[in-house]
Amino acid sequence: MREHHSKFVTIFVGWFFIAGFAMDGVAEDGRTKPLHERIDREIEAKLEGQVIAPAAGDAEFLRRVWLDLAGMIPTAEDARDFLDDPSAYKRTALIDRLLSRPSFARRMQTVFDVMLMERRTDQHVPAAEWREFLRSAFARNLPYDQLVREILTADGTDPTRRGAAKFFLDREGQPNLLTRDVGRLFLGRDLQCAQCHDHPLISDFKQAHYYGLFAFFNRSYLVADDRGAMTFAEKADGDVSFSSVFKKKIVHTTRPRIIEGPEVPEPVVPKGQEYRLAPGEKIRAIPLHSRREHLPERITSPDVPEFSRTIANRLWAMMMGRGIVHPLDMDHGDNPPTHPELLDLLTKEFAHEQFNVKTLIREIALTRAYQRSSEPPPSQSPSESNPEALAVALLKPMTPEQIAWSLMQAAGIVTRQQKEVEHQLFEVDTKFRDITTLDEKRQALRAESVEKTVYERLQGNVQPFTARFGSAAGQAENPGQSNVDQALFLANDNLVLQWFSPGTGTLGERLLAKKEASEFAEELYLSILSRRPTASERDEVARYLGERGTDRAQAIREFAWALAASTEFRFNH
Amino acid sequence: MKCSYACGSDDHLLSRRRFLGGLAAGVGVASQFGFSKFVQPSIATELQNQAKQILVIWLAGGASQLETWDPKPGTETGGPFRSIDTSVPGTRISELLPKTARLMHHISLVRGINTKENDHAKGQYMMHTGRPEMPGVAHPHFGSMAAKYLGSEANPLPGYIHITPGGGGRTGTESAYLGPKYAALYLGNGQPPSHTTRPGLVDEKGETLRHDLRRRMNDRFASRRRTAETEAYTTTYEQALQLMTRREVFDVTKESVQDQERYGNHDFGRHCLLARRLLESGVTYVQVSHSNYDTHNENFTFHLEQVGEFDQGYSNLIDDLAARGLLKHTLVVVMSEFGRTPQINYLYGRDHWGTAWSIALAGCGIKSGIVHGRTNAKGTEVTDGEVNAGHLYHTYLRAVGLNPTEDLDVDGRIIQLGDPAGAAIKELLA
Repeated sequence: MREHHSKFVTIFVGWFFIAGFAMDGVAEDGRTKPLHERIDREIEAKLEGQVIAPAAGDAEFLRRVWLDLAGMIPTAEDARDFLDDPSAYKRTALIDRLLSRPSFARRMQTVFDVMLMERRTDQHVPAAEWREFLRSAFARNLPYDQLVREILTADGTDPTRRGAAKFFLDREGQPNLLTRDVGRLFLGRDLQCAQCHDHPLISDFKQAHYYGLFAFFNRSYLVADDRGAMTFAEKADGDVSFSSVFKKKIVHTTRPRIIEGPEVPEPVVPKGQEYRLAPGEKIRAIPLHSRREHLPERITSPDVPEFSRTIANRLWAMMMGRGIVHPLDMDHGDNPPTHPELLDLLTKEFAHEQFNVKTLIREIALTRAYQRSSEPPPSQSPSESNPEALAVALLKPMTPEQIAWSLMQAAGIVTRQQKEVEHQLFEVDTKFRDITTLDEKRQALRAESVEKTVYERLQGNVQPFTARFGSAAGQAENPGQSNVDQALFLANDNLVLQWFSPGTGTLGERLLAKKEASEFAEELYLSILSRRPTASERDEVARYLGERGTDRAQAIREFAWALAASTEFRFNH
Repeated sequence: MKCSYACGSDDHLLSRRRFLGGLAAGVGVASQFGFSKFVQPSIATELQNQAKQILVIWLAGGASQLETWDPKPGTETGGPFRSIDTSVPGTRISELLPKTARLMHHISLVRGINTKENDHAKGQYMMHTGRPEMPGVAHPHFGSMAAKYLGSEANPLPGYIHITPGGGGRTGTESAYLGPKYAALYLGNGQPPSHTTRPGLVDEKGETLRHDLRRRMNDRFASRRRTAETEAYTTTYEQALQLMTRREVFDVTKESVQDQERYGNHDFGRHCLLARRLLESGVTYVQVSHSNYDTHNENFTFHLEQVGEFDQGYSNLIDDLAARGLLKHTLVVVMSEFGRTPQINYLYGRDHWGTAWSIALAGCGIKSGIVHGRTNAKGTEVTDGEVNAGHLYHTYLRAVGLNPTEDLDVDGRIIQLGDPAGAAIKELLA
């Protein structure tokens, strides 16, 4: 009896185990594998018989996932904890932990701020308001289509929602600029060259597409409301006609439409009733029929697959270092995706999962492709090492924000600030402290408060880095371009050297206290490069300390600087 | 270790070994005679053969063509100044340019410019990029184009240096899609760039030690991961070190006292002398801005002073560049965002005028001593040889050996170097 019983239990447990895994991704059409597994199969199918890099080592993975999900390297303590954790599931646990920290929302805010506003200088909406709008959206894991609808509906009239209006207002509501940027950022198409004629080289980009988008904006303009705040308004008239510079005599007209989709119908309005609120001095006109109003719903609708395709491609590029379609705004027939079925899969899944950003990023992070080493195996051929093949992970240059925050993290500046803020906000009053740690929800709120305050206090330090390492205003980000100005700054500005000088609560102070060279080396490497030093690196440290003699502070500054200026630091590998 | 990434890219113009091979001998050795001293002789020749350079003098605010290159004395628009003979028989310019007049045989004038643009910002954009400003797209300035397509990867000095009366540092917007690498370095009031000296927190020994450390670490890393981008990154530190040893190139007081006096004891004079120094040191593109020509009132008194300063600096530059054999490979352009109205307003001023104005060209690839285009007796319209900013830009590119009809692949977008609607002014090209 006992035998039968245990067999039954085994079968039952076994079945439950299988079913438990099969629960992920089960749907009407019978998909049974988790998305990350399906992603890997698409990639590995194309790599049949080729040399693939092995999984990244723990230190490689640790640093990469912190940079990608938290926007900065881990502290030495976090690094040590992870590296010494014997659990086989620690990578998944770390991913989940990073996704639940406030730093994830902050990282996504930074990525989307740079993507959507491209470092334009503030005009009518302060960057802080826009950034808080984004951060809050990502903290709540607002579905992406809703986020875009909020941005494309915002007209600046609601004083509590001006942040979202930055996309329109700080482009001065300029219809040509909006056409181009909406096309690039939400539909993956840079239609600029199709303004004057069908694109000369790309058959998929037509002048009609340009003007179809343009027609959503052609009646819109900026006007200050009675309180002096700039808002986006719209007239009730104005048609769009266009002709190719090569065939000037043939004039076309168009109503608003998205690429080849249906035009927005224009109701016939009796004369005198064109406006709900007629234009006048300091009066923001409200037409009966708004063209622009139709854009948010249409562009995010399932009828426009380009929308989900573009964001899936961009989220992939954020994690992997390169879009499946690359460049990101050149999605057309003559620039095919490297993995068409993979992109289709991501596109469908993302839309199916209600545009859940966190879920998609989690699935990408769980893939073997994401967790692959970036060191090409010696036996790999040049074509196998080709970044498009995904047989080896790409080196991603750190963004200016990642550089600045990682340097501050390495130097212990972030931790020091966190401790101060914790103390000032929550520890001084013991009753308050107890309330804020009462349950998980309150603890999360507390963590969010701390992160916000630390960000506000240290954010100013990022400016010298964005000024030198960031792209020019209005240009797509290109973090990999190095110039001599950057090197001069990192080498000769006292800023970075001061960060690595011994000060209360800093790395420098901790290192001063390490009497033994090996301990010193370990603390140094874990703090700055998020890994332990090799034996020869420990020797190198010992020799350096010996050579530098009594002035430990000097040695610390110089050695820490060398690590911070190294390629290993600068690149997310 | 094999480098399997993007081996054909721009960032690999000179291979790492060649460059560092030359550097290892050169680091720490100051040289006054050009960066070629740091590089192996075979490369130096290769670099010098391509070494076209450009000098632009930007008369900010819109210099009056009637008080400079296209005077109309004795007419109701001509104003009080006369015209004078020049070293080119038949060509007369304003009496405010006596020194320049003697060197006219080096210089050519374009008198038929009609850019149809009276706005400062738009005019500035148009004259620097050769294209009208369009929303949604930014084109790189001439200086950034020159830095990228004429400059050399081995040159530690920035390819585009702009000497301005004020300000300084970098903004990065003028290089547009070419990227921040080709942005201008602004020398505000001719002061040297920041961050070119060893920081106070590092002593001399520490400086050597920390860079050696950095190099050793990078070598170890490169043995396992190496791309065009990591190479470019490590190279910028070597360039930075070179630039630091060369920082006296930015110090105009190192020139002889006679030269400093000759160029003039005013900012523009000093900036012109600095420009000569930078050109001699191999900087690809140098721009000097002279301010302020936006004379809506008191046009004549202001031009008297400004053009006087300009005449002194410019004539000495032309003279020196010619005497030193640099003029034949240096294109020299004097321009503004537009000219000024023939009509004199009630404040004795002239207003913005893009309809009929002039610029001056000299040097590399340009015929010398000719006049292209002409305006009518009062200077109210162009009667012959009408050209716009696109034509001028095409002409500059051809003059320095670049092809303005060439297409650039900017991340998948195809953009022509010069405005497709433009064409070079053949009569001006040598």
